[in-house]
Amino acid sequence: MIRELSWLDLAYLVLAMRWTIVLTLLALSGGGIVGLLVAACGASRHAGWRYLAKAYVSLVQGIPLLAWLFIFYFGLSIVGYNLPPWIAATIGFSVYAGAFLGEIWRGALISIPRTQWEAALAIGLTYFEQLRHIIIPQAARVAIAPTVGFVVQLIKNTSLAAVIGFVELTREGQLTTSSTFQPFAVYLIVAALYFCLCYPLTRYSRTLERKRRVVR
Amino acid sequence: MSFVELKSVVKRYGQNTVLQDVDLRIEKGEIIAIIGRSGSGKSTLLRCINGLEPVQAGEVWVDGVAVHDPRADLRALRAHVGIVFQSFNLFPHLTVERNITLGPTIVKGMPAAAAATLALAALRKVGLAEKLHAYADELSGGQQQRVAIARSLAMAPNIMLFDEITSALDPELVGEVLLVLEEMARDGMTMLLVTHEMNFARRVANRVVFMNQGKVWEQGPAKEFFAAPKTDELKSFLSSVLH
Repeated sequence: MIRELSWLDLAYLVLAMRWTIVLTLLALSGGGIVGLLVAACGASRHAGWRYLAKAYVSLVQGIPLLAWLFIFYFGLSIVGYNLPPWIAATIGFSVYAGAFLGEIWRGALISIPRTQWEAALAIGLTYFEQLRHIIIPQAARVAIAPTVGFVVQLIKNTSLAAVIGFVELTREGQLTTSSTFQPFAVYLIVAALYFCLCYPLTRYSRTLERKRRVVR
Repeated sequence: MSFVELKSVVKRYGQNTVLQDVDLRIEKGEIIAIIGRSGSGKSTLLRCINGLEPVQAGEVWVDGVAVHDPRADLRALRAHVGIVFQSFNLFPHLTVERNITLGPTIVKGMPAAAAATLALAALRKVGLAEKLHAYADELSGGQQQRVAIARSLAMAPNIMLFDEITSALDPELVGEVLLVLEEMARDGMTMLLVTHEMNFARRVANRVVFMNQGKVWEQGPAKEFFAAPKTDELKSFLSSVLH
C-alpha cells in the first residue's frame, strides 16, 4: 500500500534520530574504554604493549566498518551467538571507535614533551601522579578538537547499523521510503536531520581548534 | 662521608661512554661550578646525582642515600635534591602558584593553605611575588627561570643542581637569574652549577670543576683555578671562552 508522505512520517524520522544518538553514545562509551587502553598501550615505554596497540589499530582500520558489523551480527550468529542488532552494533562500533580514539589520544599523549615528564619526576611525582597532574591535562587540550571531529564521523557512520536491522535514522528513512515511495523527499529529510546533529559539533570542534592555537 | 660522593661513576649511552670513572666529593654548603665543552659530560653528571640517569658502574651517594642502587627511594631523595633545567620546564597549564605548590602538596602532603603561603615566600625570594597567578607563557624567559627556581626552593631542598640555567636566556635576562643564585649562595645553600658564565663561577663558586672527555680533568678553588690552570686542556678551554 503506497500512502502519502505525512507529518507523522516526519515525526517518526525525528524520533528515530534518538536511536542514532543512543548508538553514538553507546559506541563512545565502549570505544572510549577501548581507546583509553589502546592509548595507554600505544604510549607505553614497553615495546610489547606498543606493538599490541599498533596491531589492534592496524587490524581495525584495515577492515571496513560494515564488515565488522557483519562479523558481529551474522558471523557470530553462525557460530551460535544470536546477538540482537543493537548489541552487535554497539560492539562493532566500540571496536571501531576504540581504534580511532586510541590513535588520537596516543598522539596527544606523546605530543607532550619529555621534559614535562622529567620536570614532574624531578619534584618527586610518581609515574601516575605525573600522568594525572601534568601529562593528561595537557594532552586533553590537544585531543579534544580531533575527538569531537571523530564524534561527527561516528554519528554519520551509525547509519551503517541500518544494514543489520537496527532502526535508527537511516533505517527509518528506508522504511518510510518503502511505504511512501518518495525517496527524494524522505532522504532529504534524513540528510537534514544528520546535518542538524553534526553541524553544531563541527562548529564546536573548529572553535576548539582555534582556541587551542591561542590559549596556552 | 661527604654530603655528595661520586665514586668511579661510569655512564654509557649504548656504546658511547659519557662519564668515565668520575670521582667527586661535595661538602654541605659548598658551591661548585662545573665547566667544560659541550659533550664533556657536565649535564649528565648532574642528572646522575638525583637519579634522573641511572649509572652503569660506580657509586653515587647523596645525603646517605645510595642513588646508584636500583632499590633506592628516589622519590624521597628528589624531595631534597632540587634541579633546575636549561629550558625551565614550567608546567604551562598551571598557574605559577600551582607550579610551586604541586610538589609540596602531592609529594609532602602539605595542606593547601600552608603550601600557598610557602609559594608566596618562594616567589618573594626570586622577586616575583606579583606573578602568583600568571601562566608561564605570560612571563619572560628570565622570569620563567626564576619561577622554576622558586618551584625547587619550595621543596626545601638541601642541595640544588643547576643545569646551564642561563644558556637559553637572552643576554639581558641572565643577570636577574644570577642575582637569585647569588642570594641563595649567601643563604648557605649547597649548590652545583653547570655553567658557561665564567665570571659568575669565579665570583661565587668555592670550587670549580673542569670536565673533559667524561672525566673530572682538573679542579680547584675558584681563584687559583682561573689564574693558574695546570692542564693544557683547561688552558685551551679557558682561552677559548675568556677571549
